[in-house]
Amino acid sequence: MDFDIQLVINSFPLLLAGAVITVQITAISVGCGLFIGMFAGVARLSKVWPVKTLAAVYVDFIRGTPLLVQIFIIYFAIPLATGHRMDPFVAAVTACSINSGAYVAEIFRAGIQSIDKGQMEAGRSLGMSWAQTMRHIIMPQAFKRIIPPLGNEFIAMLKDSSLVSVIGFEELTRRGQLIIARTYGSFEIWLTVAFIYLLMTLTISRLVDYLERRYKIDDKH
Amino acid sequence: MISIKNVHKRFGKLHVLKGIDAQVSEQEVVVIIGPSGSGKSTLLRCINYLEEPTEGEIVVDGIPLTGEANINKVRAEVGMVFQRFNLFPHMSVLDNITLAPRIIRKMPKAEAETVALDLLTKVGLADKARAYPEQLSGGQQQRVAIARALAMRPKVMLFDEPTSALDPEMIKEVLDVMKALAEEGMTMVVVTHEMGFAREVGDRVIFMDEGRIVEEGTPEAIFANAQEERTRTFLSKIL
Ligand SMILES: Nc1ncnc2c1ncn2[C@@H]1O[C@H](COP(=O)(O)OP(=O)(O)OP(=O)(O)O)[C@@H](O)[C@H]1O
Ligand SMILES: [Mg+2]
Repeated sequence: MDFDIQLVINSFPLLLAGAVITVQITAISVGCGLFIGMFAGVARLSKVWPVKTLAAVYVDFIRGTPLLVQIFIIYFAIPLATGHRMDPFVAAVTACSINSGAYVAEIFRAGIQSIDKGQMEAGRSLGMSWAQTMRHIIMPQAFKRIIPPLGNEFIAMLKDSSLVSVIGFEELTRRGQLIIARTYGSFEIWLTVAFIYLLMTLTISRLVDYLERRYKIDDKH
Repeated sequence: MISIKNVHKRFGKLHVLKGIDAQVSEQEVVVIIGPSGSGKSTLLRCINYLEEPTEGEIVVDGIPLTGEANINKVRAEVGMVFQRFNLFPHMSVLDNITLAPRIIRKMPKAEAETVALDLLTKVGLADKARAYPEQLSGGQQQRVAIARALAMRPKVMLFDEPTSALDPEMIKEVLDVMKALAEEGMTMVVVTHEMGFAREVGDRVIFMDEGRIVEEGTPEAIFANAQEERTRTFLSKIL
């Protein structure tokens, strides 16, 4: 079997453009997930039980079901109920954001719980409310600690975002499929696609290592 | 200033405070002593509602401790110093001290910093304003913690074994700050094993055992002439 290097070279720009889209959808999803997860993570620690239960149900549901099924629900099932078709990009980002939010919530919860109880007590004893103490004292410390797991979540989402190819959204994996449908270069294209994913995940993990080291020096504890 | 009436505290089945009645008047320094596990910390923490009493009533400066708004109000009037300092590690000393006044008292930054620097001078750490907690010794951290509590201009200061986590050579610098505070007329409730401090600075000593106040009186009365057997046994072990 010959390795068609010309096919790789010819398809590379197209695949790279797909990779850019993969990064975009990942960044948007983890960005939204960060926002959702921050509130959901804090909510899980709330003493108000409806808030706490709601957050727990959300986290359990998302983490207990496959992302692929979640994508199907958002792209196929919900439009049936509402009668509106959904743009694949919106569906992809929505599904990935909601998914990421649940994992980020757990990261936040663990990060917050890792902060010494005395910090909350010190804040409260000064007369600050629970929310004020969270915002000014607990969260800034938790943020630094959760950089590595957030980096891992970003990497996981980057890889899992390949699942949105099933709804025809043209990110890296879908581009690969489409090129193969035209050229039958399955071997070359899938290896190239894998290589591009690897390049992206390695870059991100280096970046996270760097951030972690920088903040470690900075961690006044 | 503080009125405690029939306060009980249970942690599940564990009955930690079994009906505490106590008063603290303005400018009084009350020292609480007692064996480990007798409920000293729990009582102190009930005074600013870090623990919610299971039963009973606590009134601080005329404000009953009920409802979130009242609780935050009382907490702003009651400073607390912890055994393990609990400084905010991600903030400079100056920010540690100015945070609460700026957020709660809505004090402008410049004014809060002036107040903070005055307080740092008072605790002998004016040169450490820009330092971070981890760069300070235990004794210095505890003095910053005292300054942080004082920045809220509290009417009462609670101290929970403020020198227990310190190396011996640092204990004095913290006790000296507390003594100066007492001389200025601050109302203080202090849990401590430093009997020298209790004798010299305390107006009244409360001995607690097994969740009850066993005996209270002036330092002379307690140390030289305790009425209860349990008090004498405890004192003989630690003096
Ligand atoms: N949050 C809590 N949950 C369960 N039990 C607790 C809690 N806090 C304190 N206790 C228990 O209450 C009892 C009294 O504790 P407390 O800390 O008030 O004692 P203390 O007199 O301060 O002792 P020490 O001198 O060791 O500090 C102990 O048996 C302790 O284990
Ligand atoms: Mg204690």
